Amino acid sequence: MSFAGTVGPLVPEVIVLAAALLVFLLDVAGARRRELVGAISIAALAGALLVVLADLGFLPLAALRGLPPSVLNAVPAAGSAPLYTFGSLGLVFQGLFLLAALLVATASLSRASDERGAPIYYGLLLLATLGMLLVALASDLIFLLLAIEVTSLATYVLVGYTRRDARALEAAMKFYIVGALSSTLSFFGASLLFGAYGTTNLYALRAVAGSVGYPVLALLGYGILLAGLAFKTTLVPFHAWAVDVYDGAPHEVSAFLAGGTKKIGVFALFLVFLGPVLYVKAGGGSPFSGAPFDLGPTVQLTLAVLAVVTMTVGNVLALLQAEMKRMLAYSSISQAGYMLIGIAIGTSPALAGATLQVAAHVLMKSGAFLVVAAAAAIGVGPKIVDWQGLGTRRPWLAVAFALMLLSLAGVPLTVGFVSKFVLFSAAVQARGFFVWLAVAGLLNSALSVFYYARVLKVIFFEPAPGPLPARAGDVVGAAGPTPLGAGGIGYGRAVAIGVAAVLIVAIGLYPQPILGPIQSAAAHFVAGGA
Amino acid sequence: MAVGVLIALGESLSPGTYTDVRFTWLHLPAPPPGHPGAFPNGFSLVMGTLVDPLSALMLVVVTVVGFLVMLYSIEYMRKERGLPRYYAELSLFLAAMNGLVLADNLLEFFLFWELVGLCSYFLIGFHYERPAAASAAKEAFLVTRVGDVMFLLGIFLYFAVYGAKGPGLGWAASGFLFVQGNHAFLAGVPAGNPTLLTVAGIMILGGAAGKSAQFPLDVWLPDAMEGPTTVSALIHAATMVAAGVYLLAVTSVFLGFTAFDSLLIVALGGITTFFAATMAVVQPDIKRVIAYSTISQLGYMVLAVGAGFTMVGLYHLFTHAFFKALLFLAAGAVIHAVGTQDLFRMGGLRKRMPLTAAAFAIGGLALAGIPPFAGFWSKDDLLAGVYSTLGSHPAYWPFFLLAFATVFLTGYYIFRAWFLAFSGEPRDPSLHAGHEGPWEMTVPLVILSALAVVAGLFVYLPGFQALLLHGGGVAGIPPVYGTTQLLLSAVGVSLAGGGILVAWALWGSGRIVPTPSAAPAAGMRRVLLARYGIKSAYDWLGATGVYTVARAADFFDRFVIDGAVHGFERAFGDLSERMRRIQTGLVSDYASYVVGGLLVVAALLLVVAPYLVGRFGGG
Repeated sequence: MSFAGTVGPLVPEVIVLAAALLVFLLDVAGARRRELVGAISIAALAGALLVVLADLGFLPLAALRGLPPSVLNAVPAAGSAPLYTFGSLGLVFQGLFLLAALLVATASLSRASDERGAPIYYGLLLLATLGMLLVALASDLIFLLLAIEVTSLATYVLVGYTRRDARALEAAMKFYIVGALSSTLSFFGASLLFGAYGTTNLYALRAVAGSVGYPVLALLGYGILLAGLAFKTTLVPFHAWAVDVYDGAPHEVSAFLAGGTKKIGVFALFLVFLGPVLYVKAGGGSPFSGAPFDLGPTVQLTLAVLAVVTMTVGNVLALLQAEMKRMLAYSSISQAGYMLIGIAIGTSPALAGATLQVAAHVLMKSGAFLVVAAAAAIGVGPKIVDWQGLGTRRPWLAVAFALMLLSLAGVPLTVGFVSKFVLFSAAVQARGFFVWLAVAGLLNSALSVFYYARVLKVIFFEPAPGPLPARAGDVVGAAGPTPLGAGGIGYGRAVAIGVAAVLIVAIGLYPQPILGPIQSAAAHFVAGGA
Repeated sequence: MAVGVLIALGESLSPGTYTDVRFTWLHLPAPPPGHPGAFPNGFSLVMGTLVDPLSALMLVVVTVVGFLVMLYSIEYMRKERGLPRYYAELSLFLAAMNGLVLADNLLEFFLFWELVGLCSYFLIGFHYERPAAASAAKEAFLVTRVGDVMFLLGIFLYFAVYGAKGPGLGWAASGFLFVQGNHAFLAGVPAGNPTLLTVAGIMILGGAAGKSAQFPLDVWLPDAMEGPTTVSALIHAATMVAAGVYLLAVTSVFLGFTAFDSLLIVALGGITTFFAATMAVVQPDIKRVIAYSTISQLGYMVLAVGAGFTMVGLYHLFTHAFFKALLFLAAGAVIHAVGTQDLFRMGGLRKRMPLTAAAFAIGGLALAGIPPFAGFWSKDDLLAGVYSTLGSHPAYWPFFLLAFATVFLTGYYIFRAWFLAFSGEPRDPSLHAGHEGPWEMTVPLVILSALAVVAGLFVYLPGFQALLLHGGGVAGIPPVYGTTQLLLSAVGVSLAGGGILVAWALWGSGRIVPTPSAAPAAGMRRVLLARYGIKSAYDWLGATGVYTVARAADFFDRFVIDGAVHGFERAFGDLSERMRRIQTGLVSDYASYVVGGLLVVAALLLVVAPYLVGRFGGG
């Protein structure tokens, strides 16, 4: 294949990589203004997003289309074992990853202008995004795990990049240690699979499992791999790091972790457990009989248990939190449980529901953490009670936050309702014990309304105890940074929050333009174009 | 203006034309082969706008009356506090009402139906600081809610009946979508379960009865007069209360009713028409007279739809909207001027408010059905239409007679109100001297007066006539019956005239006639003022029936459920406290959780799940 033929389909990845390198070079050259590197990053992410949307057929810009139509959803020939392929569902996830990165990059423009390390921050953000984009293309376990590693390494540093904040540094260390353990597990699981089957290609694994079945070595491999990926996806009991890290990290980084990088775990679970496991029909034996058997139902049950436990534990612990970021962290854990429902069911409507849930979560959770950043910028404290009276002080911000919380709770006319509706109706459609998954999901949604409503009550119905503490620049003539635009929030944050809030309502009002492509992408995925 | 709108609409909507813009709001595809699912054909929620003869007629009413009421509000509401709230709610109402009229399926219709109900609740309770207004708002909300729940059940039942019929007959043909010719199409397919269809029709009728204040869900409308008079004119006379009739019309066009349901609708319409009119006869409150008259007139429309003359019912809805809005706005001008709603304290206003007196008289003549005013044409066609069905449906006779007798009562009660308010001399010197309002109030009165005179004659415009004749593919205006209809008209006009004459004889002098002390009349008056005791019955039902149930439920709640909940809470609170202690903040603990989790996952995957799958056969 020629050079152009190789690079052509990878236009978004190349754009993001080039921008990351450019930003690091600018740092070395001494051009470290936040506005400059931020603008470069935003332009690169937006450009990559346009290309992905064009590849998906959203835009009539054929010139932007880097992907030859023959490549999209093409199933590789038997025995070719490519490292990466281009499936519609992967492209959908790429679009969502880029959207999350774009929101965070835009909002990060409003970080304090005297803060150092802006090029490092944006460079790492772009590198992490690059890793996420590669995850969405992977068709080989090693490629997949390496891409996850690219993202992980970048985010470990991102969490602690401020260097002076002890809490953030502690969070970074925890994140790194638990993350390293999980990476080790993942690679160990992959090597066991290689030992069992002699390949790490996902298509090959699917084919060989269909004829050979699942030896014990493979079972161990899948179990260990699941534990490794569950770390990334914050499934209970692999979730404990997430709360401390989301809490301690800079707010924008929390938004990126919860809204963005966590979703690569979801897509990795799609890749590892749907094609090579759920969709394999090997034989009718049982694991104890020695004859070839289907691993699918066993994995479905395991994932279902994990989903219900994750939802429930996340919600119950969110009920108790007194701090806004920890509440959002636990809510994020419980949302991962909903996404796992879709994988456990595994039908194309369920995958569409899970993907829409991912999309909703990108908007809701990134948006919510960015609102926390905005609130911190105007002097609101970290505790939920500190948010009293925000509804009258900053009505626009409060309304945007309310939309995000209502969407998280699954109230109609928001994207959160639509995604849960699609997901649960897929569970009902699949019949059997999946109906109970829908019931568990509904009960959990009801439970989650409690803590979201409590926050809304604090914001809108409890009067502020006193004026906000004066912030730097409030006193005329005082030294210090000038106050940010958009009422102290900063234009970058205002734009990012506004875009997220508008999309939450827009998709909630008219979901089909987004849902339709996701459904057809999920159908392609199930049909074998992983 | 309105005439122009109408002619344009009439021309553009020549027989059989309609515009439908439809989009899929949310689609769930059919399950893959081998996965028997709950919706074997997939499942689409569709939203859209449909302009057909029915909705065109309603659109004209809503926008014209809405505009005039808005104009009138500028002066009428000038001194009120909370005007942003008033205009916001009124605008939201108009948007929702237009949405309801343009909806192209029952679910969307229901969405906007709820929204107009909510706005009605807000606006009745506009003076929420007055207990009467607050409780009237609550009453309206609760009573219409009974109807709303029935409506929703009706939608479910129709889906159950038609949705099960097969691929082509799922969502679209079940009447959720207002597909042109659906009625005829459904007539061609194997009939659904007749019992379920009948129950579904009854449920739809219940929804309509709640919204259009039909017997026995009529109690809320007179109390809703606690809202500002502008609100009464727009929502509780011209538009929202007509939505119930519109629902019946839409259902009859796109789904059709069973014979039993039709009889029930006719009976409900006839009974409501008559009994509401009797209650209007003794009311001392000018707005309540008009409110009861609204219930009575809505009864006529329900009667017409039930008898199969859907478009004639809508024709009466159309004329009624104008003359009833006129009556309310004229009454509002009086109330604005003298500061009371009590007819017995008014009197002699004709000299000081000649324009308002004339407007009220025109509205009254239109309501009574005196030619050539608007009400005559539509009511005449309506009664003639029902009369033409009597041959094939003898069971309709008593309800036709009730409706016919109501013509007399209508003439009497509305002119009793006119004579009490406008003729004679002022009776209460403590009232401040009334005078005409400024142009914002008089212009709507003049325009509506003109419409109340000529709206009935629109039927002779070719476009409008086509609209009525061919609207929705159901029976339009009844054919002219020659001498029979002339005779009916003559009798009707004489009855109405007789009513007016009696009103003149009793009240024309403007002096209060002492209530006859004869027992039967006084007793009758008491019964009528007590609204036949229906409201007290509801109160009794609420106070004793519901309260007893509530007491029992409370007992159950406190000792059974609370006990369980508190126990659960104690256990749960303990659990979550313990779970919180998991979050130690020590990274070595977290690492051990990962390892522990790995063991759990391995156990699940290797032992527990295979065992369960082997045992129960899996998903």
